[in-house]
Amino acid sequence: FIILPPDMHFHMIIVAVFWFGFVDSRKIRGISSSYKRFFRERKSFLCIDGSKIIPFEQVNDDYCDCEDGSDEPGTSACPQGRFYCTNLGFRPHYIPSSRVNDGICDCCDASDEYNSHAHCQNACWNLGQRERAYVEGQMRTLDEGLQLKQQLIEEGVLLWREKQAQLRELQQVAEDLQTKLEERRSRKQEADRLKEQTPRPPEAGDGQNSTVTGTFKLLDSNKDGSITVDEVQAKVALVHDEERVLSEDEAVALLGGDHQMDLTTFQHTLWDILTNGGRVKVSALSNTFLFVFLSDLREKLAIDYGPDWEFLFLNSQCYKLKVYEYTYTLCPFNQVTQQSTAGTEVSLGRWGMWEGPPKNQYGRMVYENGEPCWQGGSRSTTVTLTCGTETALRSVKEPSKCQYIMDFQTPVACQPVLKQRGIHSEL
Amino acid sequence: MGGVKRSIIKMATFTGSMAPVLVLWLAMSLSGTWAVDKGNFKTCDQSAFCKRQRALKPGDSPYRALLETMELTNTRLTLQLINDNNKVRLLLELYRLQGNMTRVKINELKPLKPRFEVPDVLITEPSTEPLSLLSQDENGVVLSLGTESQRVIISARPFRLDIMEGPEVLMSLNSRGLLAFEHLRMRKDTQAEPEGEKKEEADPANQAEKEEEEKVDGMWEETFKSHSDSKPNGPSAISLDFSLPGVEHVYGIPEHADTLRLKTTDNGDPYRLYNLDVFQYELYNPMALYGAVPVMLAHKAQRTTGIFWLNAAETWVDISSNTAGKTVFGKMLDYVQGSSETPQTDVRWISESGIIDVFIMLGPTPKDVFSQYASLTGTQSFPPLAAVGYHQCRWNYNDQEDVASVDAGFDEHDIPYDYIWLDIEHTDGKRYFTWDSHKFASPKEMLQALEDKKRKMVAIVDPHIKVDSNYKIHNEIRNKGFYIKNKDGGDYEGWCWPGSAGYPDFTRPDMRAWWASMFAYDQYEGTAENLYTWNDMNEPSVFNGPEVTMHKDAVHGAWEHRDVHNLYGLYVQMATAEGQIQRSGGVERPFVLTRAFFAGSQRYGAVWTGDNAAEWDHLKVSIPMCLSLGLVGISFCGADVGGFFKSPSTELLVRWYQTGAYQPFFRAHAHLDTPRREPWLFGPENTALIRDVVRQRYTLLPYWYQQFYHAYRTGEPIMRPLWVEYPQDPATFALDDEFLIGKDLLVHPVTEEGARGVTAYLPGKDQVWFDVHTFQKHNGAQSLYIPVTMSSIPVFQRGGSIIPRKMRVRRSSSCMTHDPYTLYVALNLQRTAEGELYIDDGHTFNYEKKEFIHRRLSFAKNMLSSVNLATDAEFSTGSWIERIVILGASKPSKVTLKTADGQESQLEFDFDASMSVLTLRKPGVNAGLDWNVMLQ
Repeated sequence: FIILPPDMHFHMIIVAVFWFGFVDSRKIRGISSSYKRFFRERKSFLCIDGSKIIPFEQVNDDYCDCEDGSDEPGTSACPQGRFYCTNLGFRPHYIPSSRVNDGICDCCDASDEYNSHAHCQNACWNLGQRERAYVEGQMRTLDEGLQLKQQLIEEGVLLWREKQAQLRELQQVAEDLQTKLEERRSRKQEADRLKEQTPRPPEAGDGQNSTVTGTFKLLDSNKDGSITVDEVQAKVALVHDEERVLSEDEAVALLGGDHQMDLTTFQHTLWDILTNGGRVKVSALSNTFLFVFLSDLREKLAIDYGPDWEFLFLNSQCYKLKVYEYTYTLCPFNQVTQQSTAGTEVSLGRWGMWEGPPKNQYGRMVYENGEPCWQGGSRSTTVTLTCGTETALRSVKEPSKCQYIMDFQTPVACQPVLKQRGIHSEL
Repeated sequence: MGGVKRSIIKMATFTGSMAPVLVLWLAMSLSGTWAVDKGNFKTCDQSAFCKRQRALKPGDSPYRALLETMELTNTRLTLQLINDNNKVRLLLELYRLQGNMTRVKINELKPLKPRFEVPDVLITEPSTEPLSLLSQDENGVVLSLGTESQRVIISARPFRLDIMEGPEVLMSLNSRGLLAFEHLRMRKDTQAEPEGEKKEEADPANQAEKEEEEKVDGMWEETFKSHSDSKPNGPSAISLDFSLPGVEHVYGIPEHADTLRLKTTDNGDPYRLYNLDVFQYELYNPMALYGAVPVMLAHKAQRTTGIFWLNAAETWVDISSNTAGKTVFGKMLDYVQGSSETPQTDVRWISESGIIDVFIMLGPTPKDVFSQYASLTGTQSFPPLAAVGYHQCRWNYNDQEDVASVDAGFDEHDIPYDYIWLDIEHTDGKRYFTWDSHKFASPKEMLQALEDKKRKMVAIVDPHIKVDSNYKIHNEIRNKGFYIKNKDGGDYEGWCWPGSAGYPDFTRPDMRAWWASMFAYDQYEGTAENLYTWNDMNEPSVFNGPEVTMHKDAVHGAWEHRDVHNLYGLYVQMATAEGQIQRSGGVERPFVLTRAFFAGSQRYGAVWTGDNAAEWDHLKVSIPMCLSLGLVGISFCGADVGGFFKSPSTELLVRWYQTGAYQPFFRAHAHLDTPRREPWLFGPENTALIRDVVRQRYTLLPYWYQQFYHAYRTGEPIMRPLWVEYPQDPATFALDDEFLIGKDLLVHPVTEEGARGVTAYLPGKDQVWFDVHTFQKHNGAQSLYIPVTMSSIPVFQRGGSIIPRKMRVRRSSSCMTHDPYTLYVALNLQRTAEGELYIDDGHTFNYEKKEFIHRRLSFAKNMLSSVNLATDAEFSTGSWIERIVILGASKPSKVTLKTADGQESQLEFDFDASMSVLTLRKPGVNAGLDWNVMLQ
């Protein structure tokens, strides 16, 4: 198929129709030009499947003679039949014979309602114009989208490299830490053996995070700006017994009797305890945090971000959309949440996998294992990616309880192959 | 919809004051994950009056007829009965009604206050026929029932009634001595003395009563779970037994999820009639469900009779049988029949309040009983043609976009449908008569878009009204004083979908008139002609009420809820249907679906079997459930296709479509929590199977529509058990896995998982049946094994019938209005056939003004002809005869069509010798005209 500018293509259709119009004097309703050869006026008509010969006057006589419906292209008589809408000015297409003269305008040229009470207007020209405008818009979007995508690919590559570097760096740090820890363990064992009584001077994060903020950040694993009991338990240890995890009560006590603590409070309380060589210190085992971060990073880098890492930039981004009384948030490769106006937040799924069809592997994402549902099972979200010049969440639906469908638009979903397909199917 | 499950979801969002209720309901739901929690519903033992009455055992009746009080006028006999134990007198009224019926009314002679008599169920005061006295002595009276050799024998001591024809006893009343009538009385602790002459004979009576009350609890107060029933009127139950000699099969008294043939109840609870919203109901038991029709049919090969117990209070029905148990009837029967081996069924009705008002329908044929019952309560309303098509429902289609996309899905997959439904979520916070302003922001546009495709919509309107002073409907009902009152006189409030809700008193005519006026286009905003209504939760369902319904001591004017309970749902649908009629100025037929129903509900629309589940047994039981409803006049019945709760396997879904397509009301529905199940979501193969069967439904719409017309005219069921057409063939008496549509189509749906074949019984000794898909001919009076695949739906056309179809299946039934007909002529062994063709505009009441075509099609002596059956009717149609298919034919040499104007023409034809099928090509005559076709 040759790709033609839309208007040129249109002229060709006009020419073709006029030409056929002159050649065939008797109008056989409901057939396309390519089928005209089966309907040359003779004494008899051979059903197109070859099953039966009928007198030619039984073609389009509103009685179905051929099993394949080929004798009644212009009426509703055959259950298997189809009617060809020429739709001059728009796209020609077939409709089922059952829609001929059913009182509903199906062909934009009104040709299907030649014997009904429906008042159909020829809308093909308008439709065609709208369609052409739409396709042009689509093509502009596609062009723009592809350009943006190229940028994002370039950024993606950089980001990928950066992340890889970060990974290598962290791996190095981790290895170092591991070595240090091993050393310290053996030292400690030795010391234990010697039953050494004097406490060691305080160490704040092995000197790496000696600032207040640094330590706070280190302790604040989920980066929500406050330290919680869990976080204290994970990273603060007794000076004398680093292996033992603090009890909840102990952790709460360290948090000043509360269940969480922000940076300001931290600065004036826990920070002092940690730095003044009290009973507790930031555990050397807090390198578990490092390992968590490291494995997190590894996991993230193990995700398939497309052949050119073009989807990588979506990582760590979140997109919101308000639908009726809910605000939906899609954080690609991470999670989907729903927040009601009342404020309660519900998980609609965590990143699962790509689940596009074979032809468009990156066309669909699945987020699974969200908040459990009333009837069992858990909430899940399917995100369909479509080409657009902006990256945004366009729609959210819940067709069945707990099963969400999102339409997510982004330039990186634009595909050059779409450009060709678009022209074939749209014009 | 599922009352309880929904309530939990909903209530979870309420806070504070509702905590106890929430806990209650959560507990309920957790205790039985997939089955009804029986503990929420009363057994006979837990229902004080049932327990009291059931404790009475058969024996000598304390009642004696006072023959000297007998008065016989032209229209009725009256006579007093006295209870020798307490000396309370009753008044018996006996009427001979036109059409071979006897009415027996028993009330207190002088009740302390009036007892409730059910209004609005009988279409008119039944016409009476004269009774004449044949003989009388001190032992009894013999009356003649008209010209036939039918007599009523009233025996005096103890009182009993026997209805006889010739030497045969058709039915006996109080033959087991179970007549009981708890007379109204003053409460003992009030110290008030009854007034009037009753006082004289009250002393011994009072004595007896005191003893009675000491023995029996629950006469003046009753508690069930946390609910107490204050019973200000004290005990008021009634009971009566009926003996049916020769009868081994009884049917009816819906609604129960049970077999068609009623079981004996000796070893369990009686069948209960008390409209209830039963969450995840269990199958094959006598528990009450959403509706109640107190009508029982008794059948034996020679005769069918019926009992219509006109009482709207909670009712229990006991059935026993001597062939099952061996209880022997009285001496009289032995004497009359000369045998003690006669099978017999004994039935006993117990109701909580009201009076005994019973109609004995004496048949003798099943169709006579249908016509007798129809003369009392009316026939099936004639629905708009579209309502006979396919309905697509789900709780819930979320918004207008969702509706549009489901609508488009049907076009894309070329599956016809007529109505798409909106459940409760479409409203603004469960305020009925409103729309959610976001999700359904422009309902008129939505309706217009459907109208453009010639399709329609149903939106739900439930009878519980949100208590909200910003809600117009609530304010008006409250201001007009239309709410049902609680026992203390305030507006009754209960919990339902909207939270706290009031319940309009639909027993009030002025309330119903107001409700009807709310359906006017200027009242019910956003509506249009193609919007119809669904009344759910009208038992009524009260989430926090006893047994999920209303307190019996709630007040409807002069009456307690106890008296009118089973009527409430009927009134809701009555008022809604009236509203739909009024909004069109009386022109358009209404379509209203209801879940709760009573005797007479057939006059107002369709009924479905409530919140079933996606299980094979639920598919199976849909057949006896709808058959039982059909037998008592409610023909427009269906079950949720696919099952409401749970998610069906693909096989179950397909089989359910195949079954539902051959039941009168054909609607798919699904619970909010289930995955989507529109027909195209299960792969192309299953989409094709579903498409095929929905299309079969649409090709048969002319036949279905004619059946509805017939039901409207005669009261005969549309979906009917085989015994109705083959009353003398005992092999048909208990069949409920197959059924007939009208008399000409026999359907044996596949309702077994993984079925490779079904065994269908084809009735009729000299009958033949044609497989409608293959045209293969089978002999009657045999059980036929039919191998099946997933596409099989065993359906047979009776030899001797003519069935009109429209083979051009389109988007909706309205799109097919002007389409031509194909006539399927199935010849019997005599090579004859008969059928009918009914055509009208499909949606207005103009058929009442004789604007229709009704023709008889008959084939005899090698000639098929169409003659007018209604010469006084007039209607014109564009439809014509496209094709005639004659099954069991032989090959003619020539086929001649003769039209009304005398013109003759030859028709082309095609003969399939292997199946003996003759197809006549394009007669082309208008379907409303006279014509004949001669085979030579």
